[in-house]
Amino acid sequence: MTSIAQVQGRRSSIDLSWPTFALLSLVLSVLVLLPLFWLAYYSLRSDTGGGATLDNFIALVADPTLLRAYGLAISMALAVGILACLIATPMAWLVARTDLPARRIIRMLVTASFVTPPFIGAIAYEILAAPNSGIVNIIYRSAFGLDPSQYLVNIYTFSGLVFAIACFTFPYVFTLVANALDKVPSDLEDASSILGGKSMTTLRKVTIPLVLPAMLAGTLIAILQALTMFGSPAILALPAGFHVITTKIWSLFQFPPRLGLAAAAALPLLIITVVLLRAQKSILGRKGYTVLGGKSGTPRITKLGSWKWVAVAFVFCILSLTILLPYLAILKTAFTGTVGDPINFDTLTLRHWKFVLFEFSATQLALRNTFLLGFLTATAVTAIALVVSYLVIRRSVPGARYLGVLATAPVAIPGIVLGVGLFLSYANPTFQLYGTIWILLIAFMTIELPAGYQQMSSAFAGVHPELEEAGRIMGASRLRTLWDITAPLLRTSVVAAWCFVFVGTIRELSATILLTTANTKLVSVIIYDLNESGDLGAICVLGIILLVASFAVVFVANRVPVLGGSQMNARG
Amino acid sequence: MAFLELDGLTKSYGSLTVVKGVNLSVDKGKLVCLLGPSGCGKTTTLRLVAGFVPANGGEIRVGGKTVSSAHSTVPPEARNMSMIFQSYALWPHMTVYENVAYGLKLRRMPQAQVTELVRTILSATQLLALAERYPGELSGGQQQRVSLARALVIKPEILLLDEPLSNLDANLREEMRFEIRRLHDEFRYTTVYVTHDQAEAMTTADIIVVMNDGRIEQSGSPEDIYERPATEFVARFIGGTNIFSGTRNDKDTVLCQAGLVLRCGNGTTDGSSKTAVSIRHHDIELSTKPNGANTNTTVGTVTRQIYLGSHRDYLVSIAGGEMVRTVAPVNVAIPVGQEVWLHFPPEKCRALAQ
Repeated sequence: MTSIAQVQGRRSSIDLSWPTFALLSLVLSVLVLLPLFWLAYYSLRSDTGGGATLDNFIALVADPTLLRAYGLAISMALAVGILACLIATPMAWLVARTDLPARRIIRMLVTASFVTPPFIGAIAYEILAAPNSGIVNIIYRSAFGLDPSQYLVNIYTFSGLVFAIACFTFPYVFTLVANALDKVPSDLEDASSILGGKSMTTLRKVTIPLVLPAMLAGTLIAILQALTMFGSPAILALPAGFHVITTKIWSLFQFPPRLGLAAAAALPLLIITVVLLRAQKSILGRKGYTVLGGKSGTPRITKLGSWKWVAVAFVFCILSLTILLPYLAILKTAFTGTVGDPINFDTLTLRHWKFVLFEFSATQLALRNTFLLGFLTATAVTAIALVVSYLVIRRSVPGARYLGVLATAPVAIPGIVLGVGLFLSYANPTFQLYGTIWILLIAFMTIELPAGYQQMSSAFAGVHPELEEAGRIMGASRLRTLWDITAPLLRTSVVAAWCFVFVGTIRELSATILLTTANTKLVSVIIYDLNESGDLGAICVLGIILLVASFAVVFVANRVPVLGGSQMNARG
Repeated sequence: MAFLELDGLTKSYGSLTVVKGVNLSVDKGKLVCLLGPSGCGKTTTLRLVAGFVPANGGEIRVGGKTVSSAHSTVPPEARNMSMIFQSYALWPHMTVYENVAYGLKLRRMPQAQVTELVRTILSATQLLALAERYPGELSGGQQQRVSLARALVIKPEILLLDEPLSNLDANLREEMRFEIRRLHDEFRYTTVYVTHDQAEAMTTADIIVVMNDGRIEQSGSPEDIYERPATEFVARFIGGTNIFSGTRNDKDTVLCQAGLVLRCGNGTTDGSSKTAVSIRHHDIELSTKPNGANTNTTVGTVTRQIYLGSHRDYLVSIAGGEMVRTVAPVNVAIPVGQEVWLHFPPEKCRALAQ
């Protein structure tokens, strides 16, 4: 009966909710709707004449290079999805439901590969598996005494690209499936056993069908990530001589720019994303799978017995490919002269560090820009998300929930599509934001808004409205209640959301690549530029800086709840 | 004049009206219980009084001053009331002491006085030893007492309680009922208490207000409500009862099914010809022999008998297929299937308004 939607003493002396609501509606509309509007507008405008035309959409179907890029992108994404699912599901089961040793550490390591920006992973695989200079191929040649044209693996291929992307997208499937397995109540499985089902039958008939939605949903997310990714394909597919759709859209921005065609080419990507997200939502939201919130019993653990070592080998193999080898390759390259050098005291050098930090002119500006933008974006997004979720969850300003819809919408806009839209919106004589960091700030805010909003609204939902009402009836005004009661209770969530957004921002490349100029270089863009010139040592130094910054921030985010967090667990 | 007055109070959400013109007067220092099934509008009524919800019609007056009407709502913080919530709503980031002191600090009381008042109320609620604990470190009953202490310490004009005991286990709930009554007797705040538990209402209230479907069904002392229910709803809701429907034969005699004639010693003696008669389980006399009377008696068969330690619970099927529930002392042990005579003493039969 105590509905949270009830209006609370609306006639207090100063009511800020309406102006706030209006301001936020405006800001969110500008962030989300404006780029989409210009995208649609330019896609219908002729690049040569300027009049209204359908030529761009006709070119989309008629131009074989565009069609091929879409075809390759989609088949690549599907292959990534399948591969990620094949790797992640058995691993999730081993970690969640067996007596595999070191399960906690494995989980942590997989989460760590979440933090790895995919383009750094792609570069690590360049170092490992390029046909000529790749470490694996050098070792292979010297082991068998082969001539330099021979190679074992080649990352500059379609399958190489699929592999490199899957290595860094499988955590999506892994996390969803492992969490689902954690939550499948063991009594459902016990019920099957008691009815006479053997272990394998129970696994096949009960456990797997129950986590199937999580598997599908995770796979869809992996597919979506692969489809909309710019960095890895740009690093691996371009040398291989083919385009996927994101790199193709980017190439349309090269001279002579064909903005209308780029806009038209971006729209199908937007539509595919929306469709995939809807599919994912409907799979996860299906009735009957809601048991996944059950609270009964600890999950049953399968004894692996003599299979244990097979399982350990499998998990070790996967972790080597996705974490150990790439990270070792990056570390080695950062501290030795060239990729091919053996590791000994003679080859160890800080040359690349010196070059990146002191000699290369672009670095300092890029570092400053990156961390400044990370800081600004994280702060702005957290603040907006905080107010929006407060309005949506606590107040019944009619229409407040549309703010929530707007704040969630960018989740369906791929970075490259948003990049095109923002370029079209702000790189014109009216705004002239192109070439400033403000256009990047707008892009990052839009991209990160859904994540920030999601975190803040679930945090608000965790603060019982009666806690605030108790403050009111004891004599505190609305603002005083917010300050004394709501704010302290949300503090840890706010810090976590801030860090989350910060980490997401400093690794962004898809939208950045279209919006950056010489004056507004970011670390991610420099890494991409340096890759063009083949300076892998410098890239690895920058990659390590990004990774250390990300892990430092994640570490802080994880530590903060510990500070005075003990009493946070029981809420009223 | 009554201290707290609800006058034609109405609240609706869209087309759904949840409080339909409630009139109620509460004298200063009384404890009033709003009792009813879930969805009857009792919690909304309480939230209207607290000022969390603006009214759509009618008025709420405290000490003659209007605090809520269709046009204006004094915000909760300006009402000098306090409230105990179903979830206790203890602030998890503050210690017991800080929780209780919060309201006093808002009133800009000097530090020394705050400390003294908090200590007094904490010892009255046996919480002094726990002052530095966080709510998460307390048991359910202790949390409940903190929430009481926090509400009482600010000396509110009106104290509101929203199903305060529904999250406690049965033993603790019984103990806390008496505790709430004891604290009320000690501090004498005008109190509105919402519950769906009739035993809770009986123990604590000076006046019970039975609500149903957004309206007040009946209000009166616990004895009034139990002994003299005005409607079938009240009779059924408060305490176990048997209801016989029938037609009014003459002023105080009701003709029920299968020739059962009940003379009613009290209740509504005029009105429509269709009526119902209520008689409590424990007011029915059960015997294995007929007592010879023509009215207020019938014969039936025992269909269920349960031994409950203090008494036996009987279910008797009478002519016409109706089931009558009654209780008898433990030594009256009649096996299932045996014929029994039921006697309904006229002074215990109550005719109800329809």
